[in-house]
Amino acid sequence: MPYMSELIGKTVTDLDGRPIGHLKDLLATLRKDVPHPHIVALEVKTPSGSRLVPFCDVAVLVAPAIPLTRRSSEIEAFAPPGDLLYLVRDILDQQIIDVNDARVVRVNDIELARINGHFYIANVDISTQGLLRRLGLHGIASRIAARPRHGKLGAGIISWDDVEPLAASRTLRLKVAGDKVADLHPADLAEIISDLGRAGGTRLLESLDPKTAADALEEVEPDFQASLVHAMPDRKVADVLEEMSPDEAADLLAELPEERSEGLLNLMEKEGADDVRRLLAYPEDSAGGIMTTDFIAVGAEQSAAQIIAALRRAAGESETGFSLFVTDPEGRLQGAFTLKELVLALPDARAADFMDHDAVSVKLLDDQDKVAQLVSKYNLNAVPVVDDEGRLQGIVTADDALDKIIPTAWKKRLPRLYH
Amino acid sequence: MGFRQKVRHFGSRAVLLLSVIGPGIITANVDNDAGGITTYSMAGAHFGYQLLWIMPLVALALILVQEMSARLGVVTGKGLADLIRESLGVKLTTVVLGLLIVANLANTVSEFAGVAASMEIFGVSKYVSVPVAALLVWLLIVKGNYKVVERVFLAASVIYLTYVVAGFLEKPDWGAIGAATVTPTFRFESGFVTMAITIVGTTIAPWMQFYQQSSIADKGLKPSDYAFERVDVIIGSLVAILVAVFITIACATTLHRGGIRIETAGDAALALRSLAGPYAATLFAVGLLNASLFSAAILPLSTAYVVCEAFGWESGVSRTVRQAPVFFGIYTALIAVGAAVILLPIRSLVATMMASQTLNGVLLPVILIVMLRLVNDRDLLGDRFVNGRLMNALSWTVVAALIVLTAIMVGTSFLGWHG
Repeated sequence: MPYMSELIGKTVTDLDGRPIGHLKDLLATLRKDVPHPHIVALEVKTPSGSRLVPFCDVAVLVAPAIPLTRRSSEIEAFAPPGDLLYLVRDILDQQIIDVNDARVVRVNDIELARINGHFYIANVDISTQGLLRRLGLHGIASRIAARPRHGKLGAGIISWDDVEPLAASRTLRLKVAGDKVADLHPADLAEIISDLGRAGGTRLLESLDPKTAADALEEVEPDFQASLVHAMPDRKVADVLEEMSPDEAADLLAELPEERSEGLLNLMEKEGADDVRRLLAYPEDSAGGIMTTDFIAVGAEQSAAQIIAALRRAAGESETGFSLFVTDPEGRLQGAFTLKELVLALPDARAADFMDHDAVSVKLLDDQDKVAQLVSKYNLNAVPVVDDEGRLQGIVTADDALDKIIPTAWKKRLPRLYH
Repeated sequence: MGFRQKVRHFGSRAVLLLSVIGPGIITANVDNDAGGITTYSMAGAHFGYQLLWIMPLVALALILVQEMSARLGVVTGKGLADLIRESLGVKLTTVVLGLLIVANLANTVSEFAGVAASMEIFGVSKYVSVPVAALLVWLLIVKGNYKVVERVFLAASVIYLTYVVAGFLEKPDWGAIGAATVTPTFRFESGFVTMAITIVGTTIAPWMQFYQQSSIADKGLKPSDYAFERVDVIIGSLVAILVAVFITIACATTLHRGGIRIETAGDAALALRSLAGPYAATLFAVGLLNASLFSAAILPLSTAYVVCEAFGWESGVSRTVRQAPVFFGIYTALIAVGAAVILLPIRSLVATMMASQTLNGVLLPVILIVMLRLVNDRDLLGDRFVNGRLMNALSWTVVAALIVLTAIMVGTSFLGWHG
């Protein structure tokens, strides 16, 4: 099967065998219904500039010189039908996402496959052999390939099915990323976004659906988050912010210029925007600043069975269901219980019967260090945050409390250049 | 407006500037490394004020080059090696990075020469100091927290401001200095031309463009940060040149007047005599050791990083040797070979340092021509950030001047016009 490196630069001759130029690039269709792009045209570099030759005019592609079936003057100019992939310009030497290993790699070569007279992109080659081939060192490349240790078939070759060429080009822009990328773990996605840098990362983020984008963005460091959303349209950012948990959204908005973040808040749904606005009002290192308004509160008279039924309906929305809180009709904190206590309680037991009446809580302006100490001392999953009247305003989850004290894995604090 | 935003809004311009500041100033500080200190000392000691006139020109060229690299980084969000690979192909990338590895190996050798020279002042043999330093640097980066290390080095590099004080205390002839700065003096002898090239080579070293642009890309700076980043680059460059000028003045006033030629690091320390008296040598040694270790840590690391990025190999100190063999291979090899060269029976450490800086000067035009091709690419930078006519005229003048200087140096060495 031919490699791109072996085709590029070959002489292209017309029907009479006269050379008309050299092969510069191959054009492939990029359609959602075709899994592997197939070659539809050749870009030939002629003395009078580049010209596109339809693939149907090519007699043989894999040959010492590439003969065409027409005379130079008879070739109809190829009209590009929209979404086309230029193999050299858009794929070769560019970064792509290897979906299986959740990493960013650079393409050294492209392997084509021939099926029923058509050529398709079969694999991308990220191996050192591919690199050597590109450098014209075929001898060394094949010698390495022949050595038993490196001869393992498929090392450094990735099937087109497992790559996402999304960040490949500055002109090519896919509107929707494939499901392959969206299925990655948010933490893996965040790492890929960081590896792609600001421009590529923004493009990837933009192509994801708001929920996936929000999950991935939450895993990215705050200062880099701001760079990523900088070039994204407001509407898209607002959609993503709505999907983020309110405390993460507040952290991100606080990094943005005031006018932009005010504009974004206005674009968000009112309910979500109000939550975020409230959080923005507290100093960054206070309990109010690190809390989330995403919590579950129930009434003291509700039975365990009722609460469980309510949880089933609502908990899908919430990410903090391990600790539950009991409030009176005015919203004042009365107690707390864990999911375990709830499950172990008899179905008709009232919340007031199995809750912890002396639930530990902090005030909105308490220092974040105090929150962390309480989490550690009482082994809490979450600490409720109350205002001066004792009304429950939000909760600080254990991981958020500790995050602020012990910087998220100190390696992450290294300049990104070196991790 | 929330509290957090109010806090951020307060003096936000100053804060914004501070948060952007970094890549340019840090790069410029690493620039005053062992090779730089030695070169400026030699220039002052051997030629007095005669070479001062090239310093304003070097400052202009430095700002010009670093501004282009900053612009490329801010607009594309990518490192220089990435851009070369993606826009100019794999062959040119291999040539440029091959040259960079050679130049950076030479620079690393000169950093270890700096370690050896500074420790010899304390009476420690290079056979002890260099292996220990090499091991220390390796462990520091692989096992330590780079960010903390960077800050310590950066703070310690303030020691070089003592040269500014020393320059004043030696009561130099300011009239003569002023005249020398504006009157071009030129001598057709290989020593003079080599010194001129070496000054340019050590001040505008090829690694600086790669290092600065990667740092900018990693910080996620965006086009709207460009104005601040330009300030960062200009301040950094001016401070670097100012220190260089005062080292030259201090050495010219004390050593050239006294007819002392620099053969060892101890000779160069004499320039600080009036400031530190008997402690001059100690002060000089500590400063040189700091600068040498700082650069010996950064150069191999950034080389390994840049090469792996361009070729798509796994990189980063948080990965294991098995995951990123090439990254650790290049990093370790540069340190090991760099240190080993110093352990060979070398007559003059000072001459070794000078030789590596001359190599930088010769390689610089190659990197500059490549950068100019990128910075004129309208597809890459867009109409707003692409090079203007004035920038192009100035840049090509710098390239032409460097090529002429290199040609004269080679010519004079061949014809044996020794002064």
